[in-house]
Amino acid sequence: MFSYIIRRVLQSVLVLLVTGLVAFAMFRFVGDPVDSMLGQERTMQDIERLRENLGLNDPFVMQYWNFLGRALQGDLGISYRQGRPVAEIIMERLPATLELAAVSGLFALVLGIGLGVFTAIRRDGFAANAIMTLSLVGVSLPTFLIGILLIYLFSVELGWLPSFGRGETVDLGWWTTGFLTKSGLIAIILPSITLGLYQMTLIMRLVRSEMLEVLRQDYIRFARARGLKERTVNFRHALKNTLVPVITVTGLQLGSIIAFAIITETVFQWPGVGLLFINAIQFVDIPVMAAYLMLISVMFVGINLIVDLLYVAIDPRLRTEGKS
Amino acid sequence: MKRLITATAIALCLAPAAYAETFRWASTTDPDSMDPHAANSAPVLSFLNNVYEGLVRRGRDMAIEPALATGWEAIGEGEGWRFTLREGVSFHDGSELTAEDVLFSYQRASSEQSDVASWFATVSDVVVVDDYTVDFLTTTPQPIFPDSIANFMIMDSGWAAANDTETPARDAENFATLNTNGTGPFMLIERQPGLRTVLEPFGGWWDTVEHNITRAEFTPIENSATAVAALLSGDVDMINPVPIQDAERLSASDGVQVYQGIEARVIMLGFAHDHEVLYAGSTPGAPNPFSDVRVRSAVAHAVNVPAILQTIMRGSSQPASQLVGPDMRGYSQVNDARPALDLDAARALLAEAGYPEGFSFGLSCPNDRYLNDEAVCQAVVAMLAQIGLEAQLNAMPVANYWPELRADNFDMYLLGWSPGTLDAEHPIRFLVHTNGESIGTWNFGGYSNPRIDEMLPAIQSTIDEEARQALLDEAAGIIQDDVVYVPMYVEPLIWGTGENIDLTQRSDNFFILRWVTVN
Repeated sequence: MFSYIIRRVLQSVLVLLVTGLVAFAMFRFVGDPVDSMLGQERTMQDIERLRENLGLNDPFVMQYWNFLGRALQGDLGISYRQGRPVAEIIMERLPATLELAAVSGLFALVLGIGLGVFTAIRRDGFAANAIMTLSLVGVSLPTFLIGILLIYLFSVELGWLPSFGRGETVDLGWWTTGFLTKSGLIAIILPSITLGLYQMTLIMRLVRSEMLEVLRQDYIRFARARGLKERTVNFRHALKNTLVPVITVTGLQLGSIIAFAIITETVFQWPGVGLLFINAIQFVDIPVMAAYLMLISVMFVGINLIVDLLYVAIDPRLRTEGKS
Repeated sequence: MKRLITATAIALCLAPAAYAETFRWASTTDPDSMDPHAANSAPVLSFLNNVYEGLVRRGRDMAIEPALATGWEAIGEGEGWRFTLREGVSFHDGSELTAEDVLFSYQRASSEQSDVASWFATVSDVVVVDDYTVDFLTTTPQPIFPDSIANFMIMDSGWAAANDTETPARDAENFATLNTNGTGPFMLIERQPGLRTVLEPFGGWWDTVEHNITRAEFTPIENSATAVAALLSGDVDMINPVPIQDAERLSASDGVQVYQGIEARVIMLGFAHDHEVLYAGSTPGAPNPFSDVRVRSAVAHAVNVPAILQTIMRGSSQPASQLVGPDMRGYSQVNDARPALDLDAARALLAEAGYPEGFSFGLSCPNDRYLNDEAVCQAVVAMLAQIGLEAQLNAMPVANYWPELRADNFDMYLLGWSPGTLDAEHPIRFLVHTNGESIGTWNFGGYSNPRIDEMLPAIQSTIDEEARQALLDEAAGIIQDDVVYVPMYVEPLIWGTGENIDLTQRSDNFFILRWVTVN
């Protein structure tokens, strides 16, 4: 068991290092930051001096090595664009992304499970069929289109919800939250629906098919035969047994919610790390890009590691295999 | 029900009145810094013009007018300029403006870390004569020096010293990156980079207040569709820019209006003058035809600029005949005509140059720098095909574009140029003069003409207006005859506002808050 954990952790660190190396190899293709940092009246010496100062003349492996060295000391560098420490900028932006991800994850989970159960129980009903058809639309429309459609419907036509931004936020010192103000709560509705819609339909379809599978099992029939109430059968016995794969998928999807937030954040001008990353690409702000990519890969690798370890904890069969 | 709708409609119309004086505006780019000497970029200088002020400033018509200096005069025979400072001007923190602050700001702005040091390339010394008189001494006569420092913003020396921000910095955090202390009409109240920047009027401002804003909030909105939606829904009062394709729809919508003008930026085609061989196309390595003026001239006669303006720019722009637009100082009236659209003449020129069948080459183009830049290049490709020139379009993001041009990886390219000094000398200095370390730095094609090189210092130092214009006319004539570039059009400027907003649109695309009225 212990050696299994050590092995998985070492693998994760290796994955992280390789991701970073690939990222740094790619940065040269994003463009040259020097042009966006200097005004049009720059001289050739200015360009050379800046390239030298930023270490852009070094081979990328060297740049990566320097980045790692500083990152291990907690220094993520200075943003080329803003001239401020990257760690500070990311910490400013992270709460917005995490709150958005949390709300849309919750939205996807609650509505996905609810509708999944409903469509499974009423599998031939009109409502269930309508929901299934609509969910196809939800899966096939691209996120930015859904976002723009929602903005035009709810902000421009109806005027109910703000068209962009995060509303007023409350600064708790180490965290800024939009949950404590009315404008903040209103502002999160459209982006979280946009971001969570795909995951919602995914969970819904998963729950539905698992549920249909379980409802065919013998023990459900016996439960019905015992004369248990329909609700008890559906929720106590059937739903509970469909949740194992749902939890796995949800865990893995949490990472992609944060990663896919880039598009939603751009459409809604949501001031999170995804928007920061898009800006960084346009400006070739290498320190910000590097920090963001490392953050995302740490997160993905971390989630996968936890999921792997959870399997071992949950499933006794894996443990015995590990021993033998 | 009907009454309810009417009541709602009335309430909606009245609602903005309650917040009338809070003005919210959005633009695609957030200013990188609040430090007026750290970045020589339009978003930064435009924004900070509301907070900081220079010795001189530009009025609604772009003309230079007194700001922190009440007057200025040339010293002797062009040894420099003497500025007389306005008395009784105070900074936002209450300290008084003196000549020491001007000297300090000069030192800060011309330091190695500064991005605006080029404005002072010819300044040899700055001398404080008394508390309200400063001399800027120059190495050569500089007739347009006052014009060229309209964006040189004065910072309080005491404040800078107290907050340890005496030099601008881009590779370290600096107090002035997030905080300001200017003399301008607005004070910085809140600065959250990339999120929101809030300004409020400065009660102690020296000039007469013309606006009626009590609070102004700026938000960057990158996605243009979101910005248009925000304007339509009334979440913001002004957006810059409005996407060209949305301008018509917006002007037809209720509650919004579109301000349309032309910018100082001229969009042009450039050529590889000094390349031996072609870089791209189906025959890379073949001799470079663009070093022949007849080939360049053929291109000029084949590009149908009115058609581009009508279809791609939707009639929002004006054709350009030279490297600056007609509003700029030193524009050459005698060279006002564009080459005529004449495909037969173009084919004849190609045949004369030895390319009766045309040839294939690469056209490089940015796809995120100028308005509809890639679409314009596609149109140029189609137009050149009519005279047998097969252009292979190579469009890329601007972050890759300049390095490619610097590496000579092009045959023909698209370039936009906005003269920082709003003077015709500027593009000659950067685009036409033989390329070197600090001048000719944007002359990617390597055009070189001894007459131009000889004229540039004369243009820069001639004080007599008529003699100077004669030189500029001659230069503009040479540039047209040699077809150094093919100027196509002046980029349009399209802003959208709520219908209750009055503002002044200036052709340098600076948005000046003190001219905004919310009705």
